[in-house]
Amino acid sequence: MNLVAQTLADGLVLGGIYALAAVGFSLIFGVLHVINLSHGILVLMGAYIALIVSTELHVDPMMTIPLVMAVLFVFGYGYQRFLIQRAVDRASVNSMLLTFGVALMLQNVMIWVFSPDMKNITPSYAFKSFTLGPVTLDAVRMSALAASLVLLSCLAVFLKFSSLGRVIRATAQQTMAAQLCGVNVRHVYAMTFAVSAAFSGAAGIVIGIILPFSPNDEAGWTMNAFVVVVLGGVGSPAGALIGGLLLGIVNTLTAQYIGPSFPNVTMFLLLVLLLLVRPNGLLGNAFSASR
Amino acid sequence: MKKHPLLVALCIVAAAIVLAFGPMVLPPFYVRVGQIMLYSAGLGVAWAILGGFAGYASFGHAAFIGVGAFTAGLVESQFPTLAAPLLLLLGFAAGAASCAVVSLLIAYPILRLRGTFFAIAMLGVSHVCSEVTNNVDIFQGSLGLNFPQIAPAGMDPASFFYEVYLAGATIVLLIAWQIRRSRFGAGLLSIREDEDTARMLGVPTERYKRTAFVISAVLTGMMGVIYAHSLGYITTESVYRDDTNLNLIVYSLLGGMGTLFGPVIGAGLLVFVTQVILARLLDFHLFATGLLLVLLILVAPGGLSGLLKRRKTAA
Amino acid sequence: MSILSVHGLSKNFRGLAAIQNVSFTIEPRSITSIIGPNGAGKSTLFNLITGYLPPTAGEIQFKGKRITGMATNRIAELGVARAFQIAKPFRDLTVFENVRIGALFGKAGPRDVDATTRRGLELAAMADLADRPASELTVGQLRHLEVARAIATRADLLLADEPCAGLNPTETAAMIDVLRQIRASGITVVLVEHDMPSVMEVSDRLLVLDAGAMIADGPPAVVSKDPRVIAAYLGTPDA
Repeated sequence: MNLVAQTLADGLVLGGIYALAAVGFSLIFGVLHVINLSHGILVLMGAYIALIVSTELHVDPMMTIPLVMAVLFVFGYGYQRFLIQRAVDRASVNSMLLTFGVALMLQNVMIWVFSPDMKNITPSYAFKSFTLGPVTLDAVRMSALAASLVLLSCLAVFLKFSSLGRVIRATAQQTMAAQLCGVNVRHVYAMTFAVSAAFSGAAGIVIGIILPFSPNDEAGWTMNAFVVVVLGGVGSPAGALIGGLLLGIVNTLTAQYIGPSFPNVTMFLLLVLLLLVRPNGLLGNAFSASR
Repeated sequence: MKKHPLLVALCIVAAAIVLAFGPMVLPPFYVRVGQIMLYSAGLGVAWAILGGFAGYASFGHAAFIGVGAFTAGLVESQFPTLAAPLLLLLGFAAGAASCAVVSLLIAYPILRLRGTFFAIAMLGVSHVCSEVTNNVDIFQGSLGLNFPQIAPAGMDPASFFYEVYLAGATIVLLIAWQIRRSRFGAGLLSIREDEDTARMLGVPTERYKRTAFVISAVLTGMMGVIYAHSLGYITTESVYRDDTNLNLIVYSLLGGMGTLFGPVIGAGLLVFVTQVILARLLDFHLFATGLLLVLLILVAPGGLSGLLKRRKTAA
Repeated sequence: MSILSVHGLSKNFRGLAAIQNVSFTIEPRSITSIIGPNGAGKSTLFNLITGYLPPTAGEIQFKGKRITGMATNRIAELGVARAFQIAKPFRDLTVFENVRIGALFGKAGPRDVDATTRRGLELAAMADLADRPASELTVGQLRHLEVARAIATRADLLLADEPCAGLNPTETAAMIDVLRQIRASGITVVLVEHDMPSVMEVSDRLLVLDAGAMIADGPPAVVSKDPRVIAAYLGTPDA
């Protein structure tokens, strides 16, 4: 019983982080209809920036969130505006392959700069933990989960209430109509990409403090985001949260009760089953009614 | 311009006969490069039967290289006394059968997905197959699997495998050519163009997609069986490779998506660039491949044949 | 014997009745138009007949054979073809290659593919455009291509979705001519059409749908005077 509760708790913590790590991918997919295969790179960029800044300046890694988000915002804007947009104008598979090409290049750059070795970010409270009933929770994981939930809520509020958020949602639903209303669609796409990249970078920090990371993980984080989005539905923080929690619980349950070497197998079996029952994910596409 | 239908097949066979003399005149390094080119061309064409003709671009065809290679190896190891040619045939049969079974099993759910969803789901299939091979003891994926030496005693193994790859690639190309000109091929084309319209015109889209998927998987698996023998020893990492998954798309993109010879041209070019021009820059390998992909999509989204066509219409 | 008979057909979308208990039969070698205001369920009716959507209730028979719930391509193999309102050509192919796909597939049975393709092109008045890439056609020509490809399936029943919508008067006249040629060649035609003058001119019979239910059925001259039709659809006397 204790083991079940502990496993579920670990799964929820992991799931919250998966959700944050996937929400940028989800937003880009929902609004731009681009499968961003360089998503994992954005996540890792956040992790590496946080690692350097927190060790050089001796600050808590969480304090680097604003800086990381700002850097990735700028990077994301330029990346979309000057590279991806050129491929979006053509077939959708092209934009996907373009992001893959960029991922390969940046992965190579990361290997040169940071070496292919595993790194991790160690905050000062790394070894503190506390118990809650039958469950032991360490401080690092709790702060990671808290940061994930706060950031996800911020994004949800931003999309729902800010004027840019409204424009993003409108563009996703009716691109043509938005254009007719004077929306600069390319700018909105680039802003969406920038916001998504910023949140992906923030996710990288959270991942960096609880898990080791290396440039070779980038594809893994992209795949994870893809699964989360298909499970939860496209384009909304709520969908990402549901998909993330589901995936987190399934992963920890699998590792505990089936074996730690099969995370992909259960993940994809779950995915295929879900697609057979609900081809549009659990929540469907947050933006379009029929697709 | 109306070509005689057999002319293309004759050209393919004639080209194959000329290429068969390669090992006699080429230095050993280029025999090795030729092997990789022929292997890649065979894989590229097998991929294109589904990805190019029917428009279902798979991002996980390495799954079938791995399934084919591992099954062949496990079956062959049960018959250590068999003569080399029979052993290779047995390997082909086992590899083809296993790929047929696996592709049939996953065809129904996975072909319901379209476009990028299908592509990524295939990547998942490839990762799942690789994980199962690596972690289920009977497959010995993490330990590795030895393949018997099948090259004839008096012959240089590199030359021998060059010829086997050539035969494999030629057969795959002839099969693809035959599909291309058949009613089945026209049906696949209509699926690529617009699946709903195709169905409305009476094209049995589900059956055709499944058939193309299985043919593509089986041919990929058979190329994988040759690959495993030429390596002599395989592990999970050496057959389930994500760079293969990517390259198969790039061959068609480079040479011309949906065309018969596009993947052949693309494979030849990419292998030449990476193996000959970039051979000494191993550290740059990922970067160079990525850059090539980015430039390709920005400059020549229709592949080289698309670029030529645009030239022609512009002139 | 009727070529198509629809009995008690209903289709609900999440509780909304798009088609309610519709029954009718279509006689061979006729042109029947299904008319009705926007959202009356005309396109849904076509989607049901071609098997694109499963009905909630009711039965559809084609040439005496029950086709309800059959796969779309199986229904096409029996001899039902559809021309879409928004033409869906295979853009990478030429006109001839487009139509040839119809001839290669479509109704089951032996055929001479090239001869069937040419017949389809001629019936739809497209023969002189055969070698053009489909991506270069005008809207009117695309509509003809859509019809040519459907005819090349050797169908006995052609369902045409607003073939005249958005065409200028010359193009409309040409399309009406094509539809008459098709009927003369022995093919039964069912139209969904908005353009009232062409409907009145070409149809042997009108079926009127309103809010998913059938409200009138008869020759154009009679139906157009039916007060219920005028109230529901024609609205103004000069429409």
